[in-house]
Amino acid sequence: MQLSSRSLLASLALGTALSSAPALAEMSGSLNLNGATGLIDMPSGDAQDDATFSFSMGVVGPITRTTLSFQASERLSASFRFQTWRDWDTVIPGDEKETDRSIDLRYQVLKEGRIAPAVTIGLQDFTGKGQFSSEYVAATKTFGDKLKVTAGLGWGRLGSYGGIGTPFGDREPVDPLGTPNADQWFQGEAAPFAGVEYKINDNWTFKGEYSSDAYLLEDDTRGLIERDSPFNFGFEYQRGPNTRFGIYSLYGSEVGLAMHVILDPKSRVTGGVVGAAPVSVKARPARAADPEAYDGGWVTQADAGPILRENLAKRLAADGIAVENLAYTATTVQVRIRNGRIDAGSQAIGRTARALSHVMPASVEVFEIVPVVNGIGASKITIRRSDLEALEYTADNASLLRDRITVTDAGPTPAYSLGDEDLYPKFRWSLKPVLRLSEPMEGDVGLRLAATYDIAPGLVLSGSIYKQLASNRDAAGVSTSTLPHVRTDGSRYTEFGDPALERLTFAWYAHPAENVYSRVTVGYLERMHAGVSGEVLWKPVDSQLALGAELNYTKQRDTDGGLGFDEYDYDIVTGYVSAYYDFGNGYLGQLDVGRYLAGDVGATISLDRVFANGWRVGAFATVTDVSAGDFGDGGFDKGIRFTIPFNWALGTETRRGFGMTLRPESGDGGARVEVNDRLYESLREYHTDGLDPDWGRVWR
Amino acid sequence: MRLSGRVATAAAVLALLVGCGNDKSGPNPMVSAIGAMAKQGVAKVKAKKAEGGQPATKAATPAELRGQLEAAGKPVLLVSSKTLGQTGFLGISDAKGDVVTWRTPDGATFSQRNGVLIQTRGLGADLMSAQAPSVGQLMQPGTSYQRIYYFLGDDDQGTRRTYDCKTTIVGKESIDVLGRSFGATHVTELCERPLGKVTNDYWIEGSSIRQSRQWVSGAIGYIDFQRVID
Repeated sequence: MQLSSRSLLASLALGTALSSAPALAEMSGSLNLNGATGLIDMPSGDAQDDATFSFSMGVVGPITRTTLSFQASERLSASFRFQTWRDWDTVIPGDEKETDRSIDLRYQVLKEGRIAPAVTIGLQDFTGKGQFSSEYVAATKTFGDKLKVTAGLGWGRLGSYGGIGTPFGDREPVDPLGTPNADQWFQGEAAPFAGVEYKINDNWTFKGEYSSDAYLLEDDTRGLIERDSPFNFGFEYQRGPNTRFGIYSLYGSEVGLAMHVILDPKSRVTGGVVGAAPVSVKARPARAADPEAYDGGWVTQADAGPILRENLAKRLAADGIAVENLAYTATTVQVRIRNGRIDAGSQAIGRTARALSHVMPASVEVFEIVPVVNGIGASKITIRRSDLEALEYTADNASLLRDRITVTDAGPTPAYSLGDEDLYPKFRWSLKPVLRLSEPMEGDVGLRLAATYDIAPGLVLSGSIYKQLASNRDAAGVSTSTLPHVRTDGSRYTEFGDPALERLTFAWYAHPAENVYSRVTVGYLERMHAGVSGEVLWKPVDSQLALGAELNYTKQRDTDGGLGFDEYDYDIVTGYVSAYYDFGNGYLGQLDVGRYLAGDVGATISLDRVFANGWRVGAFATVTDVSAGDFGDGGFDKGIRFTIPFNWALGTETRRGFGMTLRPESGDGGARVEVNDRLYESLREYHTDGLDPDWGRVWR
Repeated sequence: MRLSGRVATAAAVLALLVGCGNDKSGPNPMVSAIGAMAKQGVAKVKAKKAEGGQPATKAATPAELRGQLEAAGKPVLLVSSKTLGQTGFLGISDAKGDVVTWRTPDGATFSQRNGVLIQTRGLGADLMSAQAPSVGQLMQPGTSYQRIYYFLGDDDQGTRRTYDCKTTIVGKESIDVLGRSFGATHVTELCERPLGKVTNDYWIEGSSIRQSRQWVSGAIGYIDFQRVID
């Protein structure tokens, strides 16, 4: 700031509060007690806005439903639900509490038109024990801007009251457990349901419905609820774009409560990434006016390199970027950077290019920027300095610059490059609080002491120790799995390993040939298994397809979190071949085929939707030669995972986030050893499929 | 003060909770957020003190402020956002050809081409670039031209808004800019597209913009600019 009157500035400083919250989002549909798009207890034909991620808690008397839902595309949505029935022993002696996890899928086959209603087909709890299973077709029509009317037909639970017959035959009991209950879908008695939704004002909505769920399990079998009436009604209150509350009269006897947290991964809570503006590109004098400035003679000066590197490092430190290496000729510079903070690769590249424009003598026309991840050059972005200068203030400069740069394989580190003595070897450590959840409301908090020793580029020694401070988990149960207990003793590791050495590994990352990357990790790979893990990945920088292979030899660790291997006497060789494919628009698919930890052979398919800001929501399923019976209640391994980046919530530049993997049932089949920094994810950010979606941030 | 003590204690406890270490790859977002909260708390306490105790020092008059700024001898742009209640005096951080970039103390920038806003940075919902009219174009009422605003939209993907614009000359007006009056031509630029419209106002003195009210983005809205010191 160039003004001298500091008091003036202090009193009138323009704050960052200039950024404001985004406008209230128009909701396509509202959520019901089950965390699915719908009325009160019934579903509707609506969908949420694309990519909506919601967390819902619904209480129906002694039943609590906690649900995570994701609108995976405009038409497809999925939910993962934890359900708890209290007073389970009211009539039948046994456990006081029953819990169940369920997965739903919904597909909107018809979008609402001028005359046509929105029509959705849904499968609720379609892989579980069937306590919450139902299928439905629901249609919703909007009249004016306040009234919505829904009518539908349900099977399973939603066909249990007021049935009109069995159009597609009888409904057989669920068998086997945990696999898609395709034999049951749309079988048995069908029953109609209906309801209305009336928007009183921007905040308040009235809902009323006729329910086709007889609550046979809760009323007739377990005596938890008196279902006196099929009619439910109540009010919902929308507070800002992100929260919604509901209170209802249910079935003539119960009070229902709902709370929803509704998030839009596509829009930052702060409206855009905040943080200081970049420095302007430094203009070179015109060649005609000052030809001497373009003289390349400076390269022969012995001290030029260290001075340039130091000046560059100083400028980039402000953006959390470290300079690994600098190599130059009179006309070209290659800088290898490590981006520690900025969440968008493109922005880190833009900041580096701007810094180079200030530091490098005028004769240097070509900037080669190589982002380094775990010591490997992930890619090489080549920018002409004159393009950078010409486009800084040009309209649509992001697209114009993208057309003029190239993204290629990083290649080897130039032989004549100048490294930074301060970066290797380097010891880093941190002590942080950690929240470990096994379900939304169950888990522990503790402290994690982590340390990393960067020996040389690509050679890393690292480890972490975790100590619990408080936990609300149940005591460790005994696994009844008939397979080697490679995962199902997890609760024992949690209980007995406190404190526990989570990881202690030596890793070597390399880029042995063009488009080929490798990793070898040795040591205590994760809390349950230790050994050696090796991986090779083939991924051209601009390819949607990548191929990989992994080979591991691991021994199962003791549950006390120490260094021993006495408890299990279990070791195994596992390995996979993998194909990764970027379908575009943020959809990533992965197929792994190989041998899993329990010695089972099979394949894992996973699909994730990733957002440029770091949000990630995905689902996976593994089918192996383990029989559904041997696997346990779940039938086969499957689940969902998500990551919420802090930068999305806070607007600040940070690469950290909160992630979770949830499985309806866990078994020992289809389990894979966990290894930090597998290659594909760490490199993708700086390949074209990672750089291009938010390329515009190169000018940020 | 008991309250400020409590704020400090809470901040210290929270700082301990968010962890420590020598891994300085970036500022801890929690620490920054808590720091900001603590600062706000302290500021509130200070404000309360000021209310209850001595009256705050009398604000300087516009003429006095102008005097101070002129003494500094550097160009100054007064930027204010009425909807957000924010105002600041900005100095030049970069001048290249006909583009001048003004920077706030906390690092937000506004780039203008001969006074017409073409970029902002650090506001959150920034104007990333723009195809904007020249002052000469603004002074030709009735002729229509295209204006394009480029933003980072959903999930930081590049988006644009294209408008068809026309200007009208409202007339000669006398405007007050921090205690000094200037005679300027008031020009209104009306930009329309099927989904909405934007109206920018300029007060042009000769061939340069003395004062303006220009649209930045959907979330930021309009910002007022006054060229206080040339």
